[in-house]
Amino acid sequence: MSNKTDTHGHGDIGCLAAIEAFYAYLDGELSDPQAIEDFEHHMSHCRSCFSRAEVEKLLNERMRGSATSKASEDLRDRVRRLMDEF
Amino acid sequence: MTANEDIKTFFSREIEENMDALYGTALRLAGTGADAEDLVAETVSKAWSAIGTLQDRQRFRPWIFRILHNCFISAYRREAVRPRQSAYEEEDDGGVVALLNAQPDDFLVWWANPERQFFNNMLGSAIMAAIDGLPDAFRTTIILVNVEGLTYDEAAEALGIPPGTVRSRMKRGRTMLQKALWEQARDAGIAPLQKTAGIRHEQ
Repeated sequence: MSNKTDTHGHGDIGCLAAIEAFYAYLDGELSDPQAIEDFEHHMSHCRSCFSRAEVEKLLNERMRGSATSKASEDLRDRVRRLMDEF
Repeated sequence: MTANEDIKTFFSREIEENMDALYGTALRLAGTGADAEDLVAETVSKAWSAIGTLQDRQRFRPWIFRILHNCFISAYRREAVRPRQSAYEEEDDGGVVALLNAQPDDFLVWWANPERQFFNNMLGSAIMAAIDGLPDAFRTTIILVNVEGLTYDEAAEALGIPPGTVRSRMKRGRTMLQKALWEQARDAGIAPLQKTAGIRHEQ
């Protein structure tokens, strides 16, 4: 695993720095434009990190898709009755 | 329409719109449908009592999730049940190197080149079971962000922690989740075999 944590002429942050930023990037929470550029640059030429990112995106989709729990009508009625008393 | 009716109308509408998300999160936290319904009802009641603390109506979602989480934590105290702790102290964020050094080599080899098909085939219930097995701090954060779609900022407000802690929990929690999924597959005899020894990354 590359242990570069700052640029060395090729402008690559290395795998460890990429992993540090990984989930924030995938969750759309990386706000620094330079950090985004550095991360995307690394993804463009590191097969392992790119593969991992693709899998994590898939896992994100699967988790988001699991938000299928529906409150029952009984619960909704119970809460409505509660709110009627406010 | 009086100011009080306006607040009540707003509150009722927001509760209706967020009911499924509140129930889904309560279910993941409390474990059973009955307990989840009680948790939601308690949350709504407490939230109405505390409506004066809602400073910005645009922030209703993280505000109500914070109340839900606080109600859940209070339930722990009432039942004298200790939350599941993590082996990783949150304050001691030794970074990715420390986190990876603590993992078994088999997992690291697999994690370096995970197979997409493996995740495609994995049942949603297996993924949620893996999430449910995480220490509480990480489980709750992943549920709020990755299942219910809160931003890191909203999750931070809901959990009463700094945004940096949310980011740290996501990093650690997701790595733990990957390991839990790998262990599930390994124990079931379906973990993909790795031909390469060690982790290979582009230089």
